[in-house]
Amino acid sequence: MITTHNLTKTYNEQTALDRLNLQVNEGEIYCLLGANGAGKTTTINLLLGFISPSSGNAFINNIEVSKNTKETKKFLAYIPENLMLYPNLTALENLDYFSGIAQKKLSKKDLVSFLTEAGLQEKAFNKRISSFSKGMRQKVGIAIALAKDAKVLLLDEPTSGLDPKASNEFGRLLGKLSKKGVATLMATHDLFRAKEIATNIGIMKDGQLKEEFIANHISLPDLENTYLDTMNFKEAVL
Amino acid sequence: MFLYNFKYELKLLLRSQWIQLLSIVLLLLFGFSAYSGKGKVAKREADIAAAHNEVKESDQVMLQLLDSIEKGIKVNARPWTTPNKPMAVGNYYPRVAAMTPQPLAFVATGQADLFTHYIKPTVSGDDFALNFTEMTSPVQLLFGNFDLAFVVVYLLPLLIIAFSYNVLSSEKESGSLRLLASQPIDIRKWVLQKLVLRFFWLSILVLISLLLVFAFLNINWSSIITILPGLFTLILSYMLFWFALSFLVNLFVDSSAKNAISLLGLWVLFVLLVPSILNQLGTTLYPMPSRTLMINQMRSLKADATKKQDKILDNFLRDHPEYAINDSTQTRGFYHNYMASQKLVKEELQPVIKSYETQLRKQQYWLARLKWISPAVTVQESLNKMAGTSTEDYQQFRKQVIAFAETWRGFLTPFLYNNQKFSSKDYPKIPAFNYAPKEHNNTWVTISMGVCSVLLFVLGLLITRKQMITSIT
Repeated sequence: MITTHNLTKTYNEQTALDRLNLQVNEGEIYCLLGANGAGKTTTINLLLGFISPSSGNAFINNIEVSKNTKETKKFLAYIPENLMLYPNLTALENLDYFSGIAQKKLSKKDLVSFLTEAGLQEKAFNKRISSFSKGMRQKVGIAIALAKDAKVLLLDEPTSGLDPKASNEFGRLLGKLSKKGVATLMATHDLFRAKEIATNIGIMKDGQLKEEFIANHISLPDLENTYLDTMNFKEAVL
Repeated sequence: MFLYNFKYELKLLLRSQWIQLLSIVLLLLFGFSAYSGKGKVAKREADIAAAHNEVKESDQVMLQLLDSIEKGIKVNARPWTTPNKPMAVGNYYPRVAAMTPQPLAFVATGQADLFTHYIKPTVSGDDFALNFTEMTSPVQLLFGNFDLAFVVVYLLPLLIIAFSYNVLSSEKESGSLRLLASQPIDIRKWVLQKLVLRFFWLSILVLISLLLVFAFLNINWSSIITILPGLFTLILSYMLFWFALSFLVNLFVDSSAKNAISLLGLWVLFVLLVPSILNQLGTTLYPMPSRTLMINQMRSLKADATKKQDKILDNFLRDHPEYAINDSTQTRGFYHNYMASQKLVKEELQPVIKSYETQLRKQQYWLARLKWISPAVTVQESLNKMAGTSTEDYQQFRKQVIAFAETWRGFLTPFLYNNQKFSSKDYPKIPAFNYAPKEHNNTWVTISMGVCSVLLFVLGLLITRKQMITSIT
């Protein structure tokens, strides 16, 4: 579903992403860990086609992103760190609008079922987004992904700023999507959440993928130690 | 995408308090400016009506005096003013040559505050060049006119800027642009659709506001119904031009503050700077000769002609044998000399007036050629033409008045030289002035501005692919 071959992005002399090789299959949740500037968001921007790679290729559903960006966007959904919807529209209207411009014509019944599936309370359906918390907005984002019938989900630090309950709920929703066969790539700082929901975990530093694990094969303390080692944080603390 | 943008753009606009405020401001501006314009037109109509009434009343007096004179009753009037003398009729009972306001005169004051709207040409009056000079208050000139044309040309672009400057940048600043850009859509087309829809809804708002204002001011619909489509399409094409500029700025510039400043800069350029520079260049390249000098020259020429009146009269009678009289008991008086000298005065004044008018024409030609640089100048001029208050309209009126003055003189001069009394039987033959308004066609202006706007939209779509990417990330 998501594949990158030696994906590289340089800005002038600076390398933001260095020969990234990544594979996220159907139903997998791949968490990319790394400090700020590690190249996580650059990877997502390249997969979204917002920027062009300097070299290498990115594929979504076996379609090369840089050559057919519009086509690849039909298969993916994206939830940024701060999902901003139209504050003067209700949850239902936002969902209708975003699925509409993505060429998905849905009945009100369908829209309601997607919001319900995303875990939004019924009383919030007809409330304007301006009154929503971040967690509620993320749920609408998930509903947009569900309505779009996305095969690929790209998440850029979606749980930062969420309270533990909302974060946990969000993790469960991703699990549900994973069972539906959605391939998820999530950039995050949250090691605990990554260990809890991911099938695969990668650690990035200076634009390079330094470590890769199958989530079940590593414990949380080991993951934490490896992460700190990779980042050279232990030496820094000592 | 278009259907969803159409559906939700209206909802977003209706739910935005800023847009609601903008709509009220627009309605108030249109209302006040049209009311102010209507007031000026009413005053102009009242002035013309008063002048006509004055003529009517003086005609009553003239007919009474003629009746008394014809019945041999001694009248109580100064001898040189009794209406049986043709020159007394020509000087003391002149007709009104009025430029009646056109149905849309309230839309644009144009040159109406610079020129007079009615004249009473007399047989011995000054040359009409003098009557068509500036008569306005300098205070009025300083502050300008708050008419509908001012709102359309100067203020409507500002409202459009407020309505459209942040269509894309607000999405970027609020964070929703990344979500939008992750959909299978072309962001440039999305911006285009948003702006086209805002243009559509603002156009509806403008048209409804104008119609409401016209209805409220009790405008005579039957007189304007054929002109309204032209007025509305002109305003819409001007609005489209500003939306096209806004589209380009939205695509090229990436923050709301920079967008607003860029668009305001364009407003200053097109609405204030270009017209002012064109005007300054016009007066620098083709400076007008001094009007005071011209008037002095005219006076001295007249004085010279007066000195030579006897000789002039002999020459005049040689040229007009029909006026020669064989009856030696009849004499030639002041008016015989005066009227005979008028032709010479006119001939001698020609070069002076012509040099003044040539420079004026050159200035106007210069402006006419370069007015296309600024849509504001073009639209202002077109609105003036629709209102019948443009420079061309006043030149047309001037020509017609000069022609009428000739007719007036031509009607009375034979009485003078044939030493014939003016009688009540001649009264119905007195010529009347009927103003024929100039026909204007603004279709090309509207079409050109519309085409130019569409080209700007296309240009934006063609050359901003790279800017879009920078914009999203």
